[in-house]
Amino acid sequence: MAQILLSGLRRMNRAIAILVGVLLLACVVFVLADIVLRQMGSSLGGTDEISGYVMAIATSWGMAFTLIELGHVRIDILRGRATGGARALFDLTAMLALAVTVTLIAVRGWPVLSRSLANSSRANTPLETPLALVQAPWLAGWIWFALVSWLTFVAALMLIARRDFSASEAAIGTFGELDALK
Amino acid sequence: MIGYLTLGLLGLLSLSIPVGIVLFLLGFGIDAFFSPFPLTRGLGNLVWSTSNNATLIAIPFFVLLGEILVRSGLATRTYAALDRWVSWLPGGLVHANIATATMFSATSGSSVATAATVATVAMPQAEKLGYDPKLFSGAIAAGGTLGIMIPPSINLIVYGFLTQTSIPRLFLAGLLPGIALALGFVLVTALICAIRPSLGGQRRVFPLSEMIRALAELIPIILLFTMIIGTIYKGWATPTEAAAVGVAGALVIAAIFGGVSIAMLGEAILGTVKITSMIMLVVIGASFLNFTLASAGIGRELQSFLGGLGLSPLAFMMVIVVIYIVLGFFIETLSLMVVTIPIIVPLVVEQGYDPIWFGILMIVLIEMALITPPVGLNLYVVQGARKSGTMSEVMLGTLPYIAAMLAMVVALIAFPQIALYLPDALQ
Amino acid sequence: EDLSVVGSWSGLPLHKQFEAPFWNETLPAASGGQINVALTTHNQMNLGVGDVFRLLGDGVYDVAMTVADYAVADAPELEGLDVPLLALTADEARAMVDAARPMVEDIYNARFNSHVLAIAPYPPQVVFCNAEINGLDDLKGKKVRGSGRMTTLFLEALGAEGVNVSFSEVPGALQKGVVDCAITGAGSGYSAGWWEVSTHLLPIPLGGWDSVVTAINLDKWNSLGADTQELIAAQVASEFEAPAWADAQGALENDIACLTGNGDCASGDKRGMTLVEVSDADFAKAREVLVSKVLPDWAERAGGDWAERWNASVGETVGVKIGG
Ligand code: NA
Ligand code: NA
Repeated sequence: MAQILLSGLRRMNRAIAILVGVLLLACVVFVLADIVLRQMGSSLGGTDEISGYVMAIATSWGMAFTLIELGHVRIDILRGRATGGARALFDLTAMLALAVTVTLIAVRGWPVLSRSLANSSRANTPLETPLALVQAPWLAGWIWFALVSWLTFVAALMLIARRDFSASEAAIGTFGELDALK
Repeated sequence: MIGYLTLGLLGLLSLSIPVGIVLFLLGFGIDAFFSPFPLTRGLGNLVWSTSNNATLIAIPFFVLLGEILVRSGLATRTYAALDRWVSWLPGGLVHANIATATMFSATSGSSVATAATVATVAMPQAEKLGYDPKLFSGAIAAGGTLGIMIPPSINLIVYGFLTQTSIPRLFLAGLLPGIALALGFVLVTALICAIRPSLGGQRRVFPLSEMIRALAELIPIILLFTMIIGTIYKGWATPTEAAAVGVAGALVIAAIFGGVSIAMLGEAILGTVKITSMIMLVVIGASFLNFTLASAGIGRELQSFLGGLGLSPLAFMMVIVVIYIVLGFFIETLSLMVVTIPIIVPLVVEQGYDPIWFGILMIVLIEMALITPPVGLNLYVVQGARKSGTMSEVMLGTLPYIAAMLAMVVALIAFPQIALYLPDALQ
Repeated sequence: EDLSVVGSWSGLPLHKQFEAPFWNETLPAASGGQINVALTTHNQMNLGVGDVFRLLGDGVYDVAMTVADYAVADAPELEGLDVPLLALTADEARAMVDAARPMVEDIYNARFNSHVLAIAPYPPQVVFCNAEINGLDDLKGKKVRGSGRMTTLFLEALGAEGVNVSFSEVPGALQKGVVDCAITGAGSGYSAGWWEVSTHLLPIPLGGWDSVVTAINLDKWNSLGADTQELIAAQVASEFEAPAWADAQGALENDIACLTGNGDCASGDKRGMTLVEVSDADFAKAREVLVSKVLPDWAERAGGDWAERWNASVGETVGVKIGG
């Protein structure tokens, strides 16, 4: 059950990460097009503004993938000395702290979007981008990150309850260990 | 408040909570204990405004550029070519690590990306040729830090952005100190290996014809550097846009000289998204912590403390250097810059120092922070690429290079022209 | 009473000469120690400029001040506070801002849950060119770095091309011809060395006066006693707003003298930029574009009855009417 959940999350986040990468590549193409057009005396305009939105959306949607790939940096000094159940406790604590914090970010992100909706806010630029249009996908990324964090936490909790420490390590450990296992 | 921060930081970090999350938690603590205002209400806006930032998109672009060079085989061939040229020195292949790092620094704006690129191609060689793992991996971690000194540089873009100084001028200012630092690393390595030859593995001398032939392998990298830097100085692209030029250039060059496939591009994308989100969680956390600290008045505390010391400009600069070295142990580097620049730089300028020069000095200190434990991203990247051995080996291996960086700090303070000559001459 | 105050750009004269002394010393002293202030600035907090008034409304701090133009994403009707080219002197700008004050108060009540304490000026946003120009007409076809939506739209209506370049990159961009002209405050342009890379100075406020609004969270304001409210309002008006305005005209004249070398320069060495006179005909034409194109566009963005309110207040003061 826990393993099915984890591998499902992994597959989904890989697909999302590829989409995020495609978004970044599209941004590369857009910036290049603008550079070329400027040399010819015209401009698409707003590359700066659009790059900013791409960065915000790419960042929020990439977070859960990095979590699943054990990519968020952790300091291993004490944890590295612990073994078995003690080490699993470190991992659970870290995971819980992360899930709670990310949930808070997602909750506090709602007023940002709702105020933009209420004011029909548009960027102070010639593009006049409706802010809700870019803030909605940004916020959705953080909500997804919060969801994945809790699901991963629950899955790891199930594995640890079964005393399957090597499986929990692979799910919520640190990347150094994972590489060593390979 | 300083006590709370230090204890909280050390305590939470040693619990192995992710670094970015620790910064958020400290911010919540500042809000709860030191500020009468509901700062956490601003959390959403802070996260949005920090990540909705066109300058920061240079981070994923530079990481992607490095990934493309590695996965197309260009990085390996550059490494092999430089090996032909520098392995006759005492220290052998360790010099190739430094030379390759210097070379990639000229195309990448990120130290982590540079270290990751070099570590991936160099590590397989270390075991084959019997090098001391400490010095070998230390040289990669330290050499990688040149990525933010030799232009292009994300950290210099951020510095220019926050201090309203010219980014092309900052890039010019970083060039000579970056090359000097690379030479310093080479010198330190040669000295150590001359004294203790066992550390340096075998020295290898290649015939001149082979050396000349190897030069051809450097053409792709030199082309890429020319493209990136050329578009900035021609005025065709901003420093951030030049990162996009770099990605496109790397793809084209990889297609011509190496190989590009959909599978390889997919792997490069996954690596890029992973590293970018890792960096951004820390950057956003630092931005939130900075916001709570400023609201709780730590800027005023620090400013009145520094102002009240009544120091001479030189003594003042010494204090600043010590502050950065100490903070650099614990704080991730981009966060360290974002948190301190608005407080420190105005004070430094008030003392009569040039903001461009101080940007370069700060970069040396930031480079040091990248390889000092417990929080040193380059240490983790290099350790991550190793198949065996402990983290402490990498840390020990960087010590000689930290000495070279300290010497660079002294040299910059004694001779500001090391940084300012190029931007002044070419203005 | 403790007040947490977020000031405008810490490096600019408005903060250093007026905001910081007022909030740190004048107001606490005038209250006889009843009011304590903790002052920082939005750039020291690393806040996005568009967040300053949003967070004020949420009660994250009590008092905030920044350029009104930064908040127009949430309130397009606020663009009407500072329309380019309508006020040529500080006195005219003051009259325009005073006329707009009731509208601004309503906007801040409704959009940002806050009460307006003061509106002070940044120096007017003038035009630096690295090309020979002899009047407004010559801007046609030039690439111009503007700031803010209304300025950019105005430039485009004049036939120029609006280009987005960050402040620190402007000198390089002017030098290499990435832009031909750039708009900023005369003093900022002087201290940032724009005179090194530009030849002609058009000393008219094509970017407006960049009004800086000081506002207090409405819940906080209502929680204060009537005495305290009166004290703050009176002190802000006489000790912060009035001196800031009194200084504005002199500062503009000084900055232009410094840049062109005509007259006394108190800030440092005189420079030799060419001062471009704008003919009355030229000027009338630009106003025509403003009234026929830029302001009606704004009226549409703002919606509601803002155009009528604007006509009856600001428009009345400066002699301009939207929609005939
Ligand atoms: Na670099
Ligand atoms: Na460190």
